[in-house]
Amino acid sequence: MKLTPPARSAVHHPHAHDSALKHATGAARYIDDMAEPRGCLHTALVTSRWAHARLTGIDASRALELPGVHAVVTAADIPGENDVGAIVPGEPLLAEGVVEYVGHPVAAVAARDLETARRAAALVEVTAEPLTPVLDLREAVEKAHYVLPPSEFLRGKPGPALADAPHRIRGEIMVGGQDHFYLETQAALALPQEDQDMLVHSGTQHPTEVQHLVARLLGVDMNAVTVEVRRMGGAFGGKESQATIIAGIAAVLARVTGRPVKCRLDRDTDMMVTGKRHDFLLTWDVGVDDDGRVQAVEMTLAARCGWSVDLSPGVVSRALSHADNAYFYPHVKLTGLFCKTNTQSNTAFRGFGGPQGMMAAEAMMDQIARTLNLDPLEVRRRNFYGPEGRNLTPYHQPVEHFRLPEMLDEVLASSDYAARRKAVDAFNAKGGVLRKGLAVSPVKFGVSFNKPEMNQAGALLHVYTDGSVSLNHGGTEMGQGLFTKVAQVVAAVFGLDLDRIRPTATTTGKVPNTSPTAASSGTDLNGMAARIAAETIRDRMADVAAEHLGAEKSAVVFERNMVRAGNKSVPFGELAELCHVARVSLSSTGFYRTPKIHFDRTTNRGRPFFYFAHGLAVSEVAIDTLTGEWKPLRTDILHDVGASLNPAVDKGQIEGGFVQGLGWLTMEELVWDKDGVLKTHAPSTYKIPTARDVPRDLRVDLLADAPNEEATVFRSKAVGEPPFMLAISVWLALRDAVASCGPAGHVPKLDAPATPERILMAVQAAKDTA
Amino acid sequence: MALTLNMTVNGKARKVTVESNALLSDVLRVNLGLTGTHVGCDTSQCGACTVHVDGVSVKSCTMLAAQADGATITTIEGLAAPDGTLHPMQAAFKEHHGLQCGFCTPGMVMSAVDLARCEPNASEEQIREWLEGNICRCTGYHNIVKAVKTGLTDMQSGGKVAAE
Amino acid sequence: MAEYLRARTVDEALEALARKPFRILAGGTDVYPAAVGGPIRDPILDISGLSALRGITREADGYWRIGALTTWTDVLRADLPPWFDGLKLAAREVGGVQIQTAGTVAGNVCNASPAADGVVPLMAMDAAVEVSGADGTRVEPLDAFITGPRRTTRQPGELVTALLIPDAGAPGVSDFLKLGARHYLVISIAMVAVVLHRAPESRRIVRAGVAVGSCSPVARRLRGLEAVLCEADAGAPLEDLAQENHFAPLSPIDDVRATAGYRREAARTLVRRALSTCREALA
Repeated sequence: MKLTPPARSAVHHPHAHDSALKHATGAARYIDDMAEPRGCLHTALVTSRWAHARLTGIDASRALELPGVHAVVTAADIPGENDVGAIVPGEPLLAEGVVEYVGHPVAAVAARDLETARRAAALVEVTAEPLTPVLDLREAVEKAHYVLPPSEFLRGKPGPALADAPHRIRGEIMVGGQDHFYLETQAALALPQEDQDMLVHSGTQHPTEVQHLVARLLGVDMNAVTVEVRRMGGAFGGKESQATIIAGIAAVLARVTGRPVKCRLDRDTDMMVTGKRHDFLLTWDVGVDDDGRVQAVEMTLAARCGWSVDLSPGVVSRALSHADNAYFYPHVKLTGLFCKTNTQSNTAFRGFGGPQGMMAAEAMMDQIARTLNLDPLEVRRRNFYGPEGRNLTPYHQPVEHFRLPEMLDEVLASSDYAARRKAVDAFNAKGGVLRKGLAVSPVKFGVSFNKPEMNQAGALLHVYTDGSVSLNHGGTEMGQGLFTKVAQVVAAVFGLDLDRIRPTATTTGKVPNTSPTAASSGTDLNGMAARIAAETIRDRMADVAAEHLGAEKSAVVFERNMVRAGNKSVPFGELAELCHVARVSLSSTGFYRTPKIHFDRTTNRGRPFFYFAHGLAVSEVAIDTLTGEWKPLRTDILHDVGASLNPAVDKGQIEGGFVQGLGWLTMEELVWDKDGVLKTHAPSTYKIPTARDVPRDLRVDLLADAPNEEATVFRSKAVGEPPFMLAISVWLALRDAVASCGPAGHVPKLDAPATPERILMAVQAAKDTA
Repeated sequence: MALTLNMTVNGKARKVTVESNALLSDVLRVNLGLTGTHVGCDTSQCGACTVHVDGVSVKSCTMLAAQADGATITTIEGLAAPDGTLHPMQAAFKEHHGLQCGFCTPGMVMSAVDLARCEPNASEEQIREWLEGNICRCTGYHNIVKAVKTGLTDMQSGGKVAAE
Repeated sequence: MAEYLRARTVDEALEALARKPFRILAGGTDVYPAAVGGPIRDPILDISGLSALRGITREADGYWRIGALTTWTDVLRADLPPWFDGLKLAAREVGGVQIQTAGTVAGNVCNASPAADGVVPLMAMDAAVEVSGADGTRVEPLDAFITGPRRTTRQPGELVTALLIPDAGAPGVSDFLKLGARHYLVISIAMVAVVLHRAPESRRIVRAGVAVGSCSPVARRLRGLEAVLCEADAGAPLEDLAQENHFAPLSPIDDVRATAGYRREAARTLVRRALSTCREALA
């Protein structure tokens, strides 16, 4: 049978988020909104006040005397294995022997209400002998204090090529971390079932991992644990591995007490306990010709992993595989360092190391241009990947279907770049207190999990005899619109209206052994799995339809809620009933694995990415050279989402990602004191962007008529992470404004986040150079 | 110390017995089951818990339930008409994609409705200033501002019927 | 569980305070965040119903009286002379709109945060605090009332009932500038208020108030600078009168929001700018 065209407007159409109505009326339920089951207990954590110490005692006797306290658990009370390591074992749920950061969970209390649990937690006496912590990233680099040995990407002979280069430029920047600040803090509700079974409602991007690790903690098989999540109030990577801590504590307490247990962290506890985006120290040594073309480069990307490994191997690998961004390095060596510090264990966060890697590339390009008195835009263009001979990445994957050169021309025209460049230069030439900056930055982001085995997904689809469809897949909804997009795909396959498809809560009981919803791959993977399931059912239904309509199967078309062949038709629901009568199954799984990809982790070579997503941003800012305060004036974005499944959802991801990146690079600052206490653990001190902090003039365009060359779901491209890095243009524009305060050839010294204080320091340094 | 309070919540007279130090947000969520009012930061910064007390928007984690004794309270659940017709501001958030994860949405909507009371013709700049106390981590605010603009206009034109 | 008392009259509140210490609750905007979602465990005296204490009035004796329950929104909506503009600008910097609606000016003063927005313009206006107790009422200058971070001279049995601001009886202007990592909802890195009054018939400045916040444990007035400003010609470049030694009262520290050096630098710039703005407004 032939592939039928999608029902008009099922895909490539700006449908509202599937929960939009519920969000706007308050009917959408998050974990803390669920009706509490009878006897439900509440949780408070006892955490370390030392950055590094040997535990000598935990005395819970006073806590246990408090009326309403049901249990206080420590490492010794965990029925199974005390380990929630995501990639490598050895990461205890509750500290055992030593504590490794301020905030490290040591014990957990279950009590009849939250207030009692909190009081009890304060009564648990923990004693310890302090050990010397390592708190500073530079210190960890100098001491080679690592959680894992260094990793290297190598191509060509960078050493000799560097020595031969006409110009050799060295540089470094510090790039800060970032708290996820999902609006819904981490939460889980564990419900003991018959036998030894446990049902866990977990705010997690990775239900399978929660299932796996809860089973390990409880000492039961995975089939005894079911993990379910309908939606999260934001996640951004913060609920990929770290959700296990919260779910694990709830499950252990539920097992020990035999009661349902809810664990919801308050904001301060969440920020003190859970990991964040890795901060990086980025250094480079680059050789260039007179035109600013890179001949060879050696870079070191040192990541603050925090106290444990967590997902750092993937994060550093993605940082290394994005330290080229859009640029060809003829000879290259990239080294990733996994620095250990006695701070929160850093984890996944939108971009997963990619943004930090790209910052190295972009800061380096800016430095090359300014050092050689060249136009930064031209230097970027000259270094873009090109045809064969200039298309190999540091991990030996050829860059195919590279869209940035044409996109650059388009965005320069649409943003009126040339005229604005002149205007900004003229404005700055007047030498006033206010200076403007203008910059362009590209994004080339590799789509697929770096680990090939993670690129698989399953779906489970049922058509009921009234023609309504129940959709389930391994992806989780955190606001990104995944459920909407996958439902659109299914609607398109069946030729149904979108409201006939009901997305259902993600559960390990329906689709097993899933990958996390991460790496921007949610729709690529789950959309494809759902499509395959839908096509399987449609194929069976087409047989019945052909017989019923007296037509060839190849003539059967599913569209507009009908199934047609020639001039005959039957409503979809009626056909479903006919299938049931004919004893034809209306249920199917779908399974998808991404083709073409492979990667050798010992040599760091292969084709880790199925394809690349592209984007470009042009940003203009103004700075106050006497206070360092600044304003974003305008940003123009052109972004490549292939053939968009849902332009409204995709634009929302672009706008939201860009603003989150702007927060990371300009205002969100994590500060630890000399004892390793995170001082910015609440929104009063940790500042994320508000409605007034973003450019009023934000113009977002999707690249038109640009279906993915690779066979992705309806030729769309992933969109979750790539736009985050468009915000680098703002940071570069700030550098541009600062540079105008110094002489030609001055390279601004500006780390990230570029707070007003850092901007003022950079301005003063520029003036001092003049 | 337990107190018995009388309030009118979403048009209905409610009597609740609560501890004297119970926060309004907790009483709405736990005692009255109105879980559309979310708690995002616990420290009166994020605005997810915004409700109306006697017609004025307040952060319900910044008020004791005891202080609302005798008050008329509207939460996100009380905004739509009894027949389910959305309030124009709710409809605008849905239609303009002014939401993603949805956690901040109830507070945003309640705050925006209060803006209509104070500045029915608010400019974009006034909208952004007004929303300063409501944090969103997903959208970048672009569509939220668009939604509020539309919502304000539709409220003046007598309330556009939602496309539900 | 905590005792909760809702006072119906000022006398009732004072009687309660005479009995034992209470946490006084007005707008609550500083009380709840400190508990991070947890309940307040101290006994609570809720004075939010004392409507007699709300509002701004001009008294016969030449004072402006800001009742203790006057909210920031009340300040913003009140019809006040231009030399209150700095206070209005500060009002807009206090949290978001819901916090402005609930939070009181007097509460901001009593909370005595080194970074309190309201204190700086009030200090520049020569505000005094009216404190009532069992033994009657006393009035204390604001800069004496606040003795340190989170510390005031208010005794457990006392209640702040109003802020009193003298009217210089001369045309005046004011400005308030605040620097923050993010403009709104931010606890300040540095802030400055300037109030200038000129003689009714000339450009001679007759009264000057300059205060700086977040750059010392308690907001400080720059009295040396004020002295130089007084008698100066309002048409002259007042910003150039600010000299290094005028900033000696400041003792900024490094904290999570900024370093001392940045605070000092920023305070100097903000003072110059506020003076420049006021000069233009006076002229």
